[in-house]
Amino acid sequence: MPIVVIGLSHHSSPVTIRERFAFAETIIPEALQKIRASGIAEEAVILSTCNRVEIYVSTNLKDRDASTALQNFLVEHHNYRDELNGEIYALSEPKSLEHLFKVAAGLDSMVLGETEILGQLKRAYDLALQHKHTGSRLNKAFQKAFNVAKQIRTETNIQRGSVSVGSVAVELAEKIFTSLSERQVMVIGAGETSEKTARALLSRGAHSILVSNRSHERAVALAAELDGRAVQFDEWVNEFPKIDIVISSTAAPHYVLDRAKLEPMMKFRKNRSLLLIDIAVPRDIEPEVNFLENVYLYNIDDLQAIADDYLKQRREEIARCEKIISDKVKGAFTVSNDMKYFPSPDSIATASQ
Amino acid sequence: MDWLTDKVSFAIAVLFYGISMVYSVFLWRKGFRQDNRVNYFLLLGAAVFHTTAMIKRGFSLERCPVNNLFEATMFVTWTMVATYLVLGIWSRLRFLGAFASPVLFCIGIFALMPGLDLRGTEPEFGGGLSSAHATFILLSYGAFGLSSIAGIMYVTQEHDLKYHKLRAVLSLLPPMERLEKVMKWLLISGFILLTIGLAQSPFLLKQKFNVYFTNDPKLIWSIIVWAIYLTLILMHARFAQTGRRFAWGAIGTFAFVLLTFWGINLLSPAHN
Repeated sequence: MPIVVIGLSHHSSPVTIRERFAFAETIIPEALQKIRASGIAEEAVILSTCNRVEIYVSTNLKDRDASTALQNFLVEHHNYRDELNGEIYALSEPKSLEHLFKVAAGLDSMVLGETEILGQLKRAYDLALQHKHTGSRLNKAFQKAFNVAKQIRTETNIQRGSVSVGSVAVELAEKIFTSLSERQVMVIGAGETSEKTARALLSRGAHSILVSNRSHERAVALAAELDGRAVQFDEWVNEFPKIDIVISSTAAPHYVLDRAKLEPMMKFRKNRSLLLIDIAVPRDIEPEVNFLENVYLYNIDDLQAIADDYLKQRREEIARCEKIISDKVKGAFTVSNDMKYFPSPDSIATASQ
Repeated sequence: MDWLTDKVSFAIAVLFYGISMVYSVFLWRKGFRQDNRVNYFLLLGAAVFHTTAMIKRGFSLERCPVNNLFEATMFVTWTMVATYLVLGIWSRLRFLGAFASPVLFCIGIFALMPGLDLRGTEPEFGGGLSSAHATFILLSYGAFGLSSIAGIMYVTQEHDLKYHKLRAVLSLLPPMERLEKVMKWLLISGFILLTIGLAQSPFLLKQKFNVYFTNDPKLIWSIIVWAIYLTLILMHARFAQTGRRFAWGAIGTFAFVLLTFWGINLLSPAHN
């Protein structure tokens, strides 16, 4: 019984179409039941995330028949009436297994090598397993996918490093401080990127957040979201002795913090290490402060350069990952001689027919 | 195994330090990106031969092997590698070995130079007090040595972070705070050991020269070294001289010890 997969992802369709095919977790068991009851498949798993909707099945039908039936199911289940132009892809063995392994390892993700997808895939599989919609074929395939993802994580650098500005800031903080759990963070200027960076630090255990903004209301709102405290914009300097990490992104045309202002403040901090993240353009923090002892200043270009370097390294690992996947696919399953990949048939392009 | 004398054992240990040093260059070129136990086991192997050398020498003398420059040097390096092997159990501190091996190799080569291993008459100080005095002091230098190696790691990582080098983020070197803590505690441990060792000097001098104090060059030098380390610790604790200055202080002071220890020893009538 070959394994077939159909679906849409960020590669094949925009979010405006993907969201039309998304499955809420509560209705997935029912959808799986329908797929199996209709005779399309003996086993089925549905994966529905913000970047993809995929149905993996083990079926007695021929590959093309199975994919046509699944696509019809998808369109009818979501009552999709508009035209489709190749947004839905279909794969059979061994491509379907390669695809599953790539998805599990994060190789097909929007952010190459991201790890969240593995957790999502495991939850999708567990849900199908709990409701007894999987059997020996899909059980073996998914367990293999999880093992391959683990092997790729261990043997390659595909998941190494951070590719967003916020997570690069967290990595830098962890290079300076033994633990983030006692660290106080200050956000000066409540912008989107600084909020994301603050959240990233909080998620890694940063102790507390102080928010300061020209608009105090905005500071209060952001502080509430981050479970922190708002500080008046002209009073943030008073909080400095307690701060370990500063994220600055004001709209000020001049330096908010310069060497002359910072140097005496370091004495009040007993020269403890200080990480300054300057996300603003024009910059908020005078570059000279980087030469003060125990002060580490990174601006947006520095963070982006690190993120880009990490992404480049991940891309360099793709070939190794694909080799691991290819070896695992060859070793695990027999290769079908049928056509391995085919686009969605024209017959389902218009659901109203 | 008659060929495996104490000198040969120590030479094999130094060879292992050399191999570890070469391997460390590769680790450094790779930016310390992967936790690599090979270096740890190379240094463990070196420590086995090193310990064998010290045991053999100790048994042959029937006392602690701290009686000439060769033995003193061997003891200091043994302390350094033994302390590293304990700290290196924690994976984030394992890369200390990559920085320690060049120092161990160079000091080891120096120790193997002819003329350092002089076996004259019985040591002039009798009893366990002499051995205890030398042991505590040499243990302290081992701790200071490893502290300076942690200092080298600190300034390396600090430089990479300041100049936004990618390897600062990619490497598995410990966080700066942890390195500073390791430096501090090694310095404090070394200082305590040095204090205990120096505290025995008056009794040894009384035994030999019937005075509690003399202006022996090595005694004066040791007191200066003790005072420098005390200053370093106080400046760190009370005057917030932390970070790069503290690291350079640890590195510079140990460099001073390394460069002057053997010469001062030769000038010291009390130690010859």
